Amino acid sequence: MSAVTNKHQAFAKRLVDLAMTRGASQAEAFVQVGRTADVRVRDGEIEDLTQATSKGAGLRVIVDGRLGFCWTSDFAEGGLSSFVDLGLSLAKAAAPNEHNGLPKLDDLGAFPDVGPLFDPQVAELRADWKIQAALTMEKVVKAFDPRLKTVDSVGAGESVGEVYLANSLGTQGGYDGTYVYLYASPVASEGEQLQTSSWVDYRRFFKELDSPEAVATEAARRTVRMLGAKKVKSCKVPVVFEPMMTASFIGSLAGACNGDAVHKKASFLAGKLGQAIAPKHFTLIDDGRLTKGLGTSPFDGEGVPTRTTRLVDQGVLGAYLYDVFTARKAGARTTGNAARGYRSTPGIGTHNLYLEPGKEPPEAILKGVKAGLYVTTMLGHGANAVTGDYSRGANGLWIENGELTHAVQEVTVAGNLTDMLQKVDAVGNDLTFRGSTGAPTIRFSELTVSGE
Amino acid sequence: MARGADFAEVYAERSDTTAVVLEEEKVKSAQAGQSVGVGVRVIVGGKVGYAYSDDLDDDALLRAAETAALIAHGDKQHAPVSVARRPLPTFYRLDKHLHAVDVAHKRDLVVRADKAARAADPRIKQVTATYADTTKRILVANTQGHLAEDTQDLCRMSVGVVAAAESGERRTGSFGGGGRVPFSHFDTFTPELVAKEAARQACATFGAADAQAGQQTVVLAPGWSGILLHEAVGHGLEADFIRKGTSLFAGKLGEKVASELVTVIDDGTMANARGSLNVDDEGEPTQFKVLIERGVLKGYMFDALNAKLMGQKSTGSGRRESFKHLPLPRMTNTYLAPGEQSPEEIIGGVSKGVYCANFGGGQVDITNGNFVFEVTEAYEIEGGHLGRPLKGVTLIGVGPVALKNVTAVGNDPLPDPGMGTCGKDGQGVPVGVGLPTVRIDNMTVGGTKVKG
Repeated sequence: MSAVTNKHQAFAKRLVDLAMTRGASQAEAFVQVGRTADVRVRDGEIEDLTQATSKGAGLRVIVDGRLGFCWTSDFAEGGLSSFVDLGLSLAKAAAPNEHNGLPKLDDLGAFPDVGPLFDPQVAELRADWKIQAALTMEKVVKAFDPRLKTVDSVGAGESVGEVYLANSLGTQGGYDGTYVYLYASPVASEGEQLQTSSWVDYRRFFKELDSPEAVATEAARRTVRMLGAKKVKSCKVPVVFEPMMTASFIGSLAGACNGDAVHKKASFLAGKLGQAIAPKHFTLIDDGRLTKGLGTSPFDGEGVPTRTTRLVDQGVLGAYLYDVFTARKAGARTTGNAARGYRSTPGIGTHNLYLEPGKEPPEAILKGVKAGLYVTTMLGHGANAVTGDYSRGANGLWIENGELTHAVQEVTVAGNLTDMLQKVDAVGNDLTFRGSTGAPTIRFSELTVSGE
Repeated sequence: MARGADFAEVYAERSDTTAVVLEEEKVKSAQAGQSVGVGVRVIVGGKVGYAYSDDLDDDALLRAAETAALIAHGDKQHAPVSVARRPLPTFYRLDKHLHAVDVAHKRDLVVRADKAARAADPRIKQVTATYADTTKRILVANTQGHLAEDTQDLCRMSVGVVAAAESGERRTGSFGGGGRVPFSHFDTFTPELVAKEAARQACATFGAADAQAGQQTVVLAPGWSGILLHEAVGHGLEADFIRKGTSLFAGKLGEKVASELVTVIDDGTMANARGSLNVDDEGEPTQFKVLIERGVLKGYMFDALNAKLMGQKSTGSGRRESFKHLPLPRMTNTYLAPGEQSPEEIIGGVSKGVYCANFGGGQVDITNGNFVFEVTEAYEIEGGHLGRPLKGVTLIGVGPVALKNVTAVGNDPLPDPGMGTCGKDGQGVPVGVGLPTVRIDNMTVGGTKVKG
């Protein structure tokens, strides 16, 4: 770790020490430092180039069981005392709660070795490379099909970040990480219709990033195939989600596994631990230690070592996700899923969430459908975690005798998550990560499609 | 400017945020934060360079300016620019800034809301109440010689409830509001009023029937349903999408794009409204803009850059979430002008349809015009009267088509209570919406029940 590293680690510790001297019973500081750069292009030229540095510190103090929280982006020595006092005074406005507090010592423990998260090649990525990559993508998109006349956006960028944590129980930790990305969203036009789609790649390591040509080609292919999209008649048919849509679906499920929602009985999965909620080929995992994962870190937002949690294991609901506060309320143990930035107190979130792949190739999954919908884009938030009601706007392609035919738009797919889970009758072998959520193609034996 | 830029701008911002969150009958935390930062933007032709930092020392500012100027290369000489302060109107002068109000008063609001929600109905099992405010000070100066400063207060309180019936059925309700209002706003818009409405919504839809999927006549309740207008047309009239040719409304100025009953206004000057601004984030005064007049497209919303590139004038629509973001053309308070029919007449004229009383979120794909809305409180209309509650209703349509299918507009205009945040390119900004009662024919209703 560099000299900068030690400076911020020391700063976190200093905030904690100061809070303790000024009257806190417990204190914790969470510090983030980072920089980002992004380039977008249009018509063979730079459209915009953004570079930024940012930093911030969040301080949690507990005074007589009351929680105060404050954050700042000003690290100047002169303001620290008043910053700490602000936290202490906010604690006085809150109510005492026996569940407030730092993790217990046996929840803290040693941090796992999660492997490298930082790539010097990304940290030193030159603006020229990004500009060239973006220009190449735009060129590839426009050469793909004459109906691709413009783009919504095409660009490249990277982010470099450091995280530090210190608490009054003596926990101290820090890690740094990088990621680099490419994105393209072309626009296709034909007659009165405009269609767009997009493709991205995100990686921690430069060598693993798809080529600009590959990202652009996939974006172009996905856009052109949407031309001629039309509504279909309302019907109940098999529905296939491509990997990105499955990723969004399992995101909704993870939301229902949130230990806080479960404790408040505000989740349709409350009270179902140990029950079969899905077929055997459905295994949902949250992994905080996945090698090179975008969501990987040695510890969570309150310094608890990360781990791997099997949320759904061969169809059986295996676990809920907890941070320390919620775990105490629910009489459970933290699963190391406290998620946060410096501007917020810990909440519950996932690290690398993925659905284990099955054996069938996606083509075979489509082959089994006589008439149905292949969903490639969805609109709206869709799932109500409390009732499990699920209803989203969908775009995609119509499946006829196992083949993809015309494009479909302006329809919704609807169901109830409880019922939808039981209806997952195929899981593909094409596990795809774009960001920190990964999923394969899946098929539901029947959902309601609303159209004409 | 030494590098030959056409335009350079400095945007400085300081914001102070306070939030109090209550859950499970206890004030979970009181929080406060402060962020300070500056963004430097340089424009050469259509190219934009942007750099931001939360370090405000001279070195950091100079580094930011140099980064932003990376896109400029030339040796044009510039005389020093003299900057003059713009006189500004004020649409939200507060006697006391929200930041200066004692946090104990803010805490009292959420405590009262919790009590009132639980007292409203014995079926209310969970209550989450939140109060949050920000006092934001901005300063914008540019090489056109403009200097503008503004102080923007904004607050909101909201209540979310989960209700459970004896049958085990669970429903959710939420309500809230605020704006650029003094703290005394909550003397009339009381926590009790907010809590009762949230509780009413949750309990109103117990025993709701599944919605029929397919095309139906829908009637939208006044107020918050204005989000439909925001999604279905508002975004498509923002100048960036028009310039890039990625909006269905591009090139349609002067054409009939909606039913004659439709007049759409974006007004940044409404007193104390959530979306109002004395000055936009580029230093331009906001305006009252007629976007669509009796069905005819009259104008777009411009920020300075898109206006310049398109040979137009800024409409004071350049907004950014914070110094960390480039300004984009955005809406302020967008509403539909009232018509002549009473709401009773409108509902009475529908033999079979769906009445949409409350909405969750919405989303639009600007390019193909597809939009969706989640309706959180809906009733069937039978023979001109409201009938059973419906669940799982989602509306989906194509913006310009839905606008042409508006067949009645009520005489009961209503702004939303002040709780909207609009997201675009990852930037959230506060907005207002509003609508009188509106009837739209042939709207696709997503549901789980298929006829036949």
